[in-house]
Amino acid sequence: MIDVQIFFYFGIFLAIVGSLATAWGPGVKDPIVRTFNTEVASIGVCMVLLCYNHVLALLTLLATTVIITLILFRAIIRLEEMGAEV
Amino acid sequence: MVMIPPYVPEAFLTMYLPAIYAGLIVGFIGTMAIAMKREEIHILILTDLVGLAMIFVVSAVGTDLAEALILPGLVVELAETLAISEILITREMRKIEQDPRRNLSKSSSIFPQPFSLNMEIMTTAPNFIALVLIGYGIFLTGFTGGAVAGGGIVLYALSKKARGLPVLILDGIAGVSGIAWCLWIIGFLLFFVAPQYWLLSLFLAACGLLLKVASKVGLIGLLMREDIDKE
Repeated sequence: MIDVQIFFYFGIFLAIVGSLATAWGPGVKDPIVRTFNTEVASIGVCMVLLCYNHVLALLTLLATTVIITLILFRAIIRLEEMGAEV
Repeated sequence: MVMIPPYVPEAFLTMYLPAIYAGLIVGFIGTMAIAMKREEIHILILTDLVGLAMIFVVSAVGTDLAEALILPGLVVELAETLAISEILITREMRKIEQDPRRNLSKSSSIFPQPFSLNMEIMTTAPNFIALVLIGYGIFLTGFTGGAVAGGGIVLYALSKKARGLPVLILDGIAGVSGIAWCLWIIGFLLFFVAPQYWLLSLFLAACGLLLKVASKVGLIGLLMREDIDKE
């Protein structure tokens, strides 16, 4: 029987490492890499929500993460095509 | 002295402090990175991290209250990201238009190549499927129903070839949103003023939330269609 606490602390670890990677990680000069690094922290938050039995919050987090990623990609690509500095 | 409700499970009490500290650390990292960055698009991406810290702190409560607070937080964050990204794009467009040496290319989208969905099912089926999805969403009510009905609207919007939206329809969606807010607030007030009508107020709030979420998801679908349906 695996303890729930393991997943909880692993989620916290993933969230902190993911946010560090988003802030100062390798290759974050590129905004697309930065957006991908956000997903690591997001998975950590998902595991924490799973430990708390917050099913609806978990599903909403997944859905909004997908939509926010699409919106950010759209903004990044438009800005790059216009020749703005990103 | 800390008041702890009796229905909070014992396991969640030990998880409270680690979750709060994790939220504080993630929020600190996010805000420090925002303070050190200059470019707006990077700041917009880093705002996500602060949102995750918010989820940590709220979820540490560990009851249904946490779930009820996370949902609107996420939806507000989504709307905020959408609005700020639009503002950024518009501002950069203005900057480039005012600079005579650079010319603005007209074609810009999320998909570099033209991406047209030429499947037969996209022209024949969506009327029926969208109707079923919207009907089922109205039957469900609440947040889930709004998401399902919004999915139906998105499917209809993506598969129909008509482009652009008349101003009348946009105004209509805004009006629906206002009515939804009114229903929600009346339902919320009725909970406290007349608790014996709790079922009525519950349904008022649920139907308000249904209209709200469905219209928002539908708007996002209409926005995405402008990108997807180009020739």
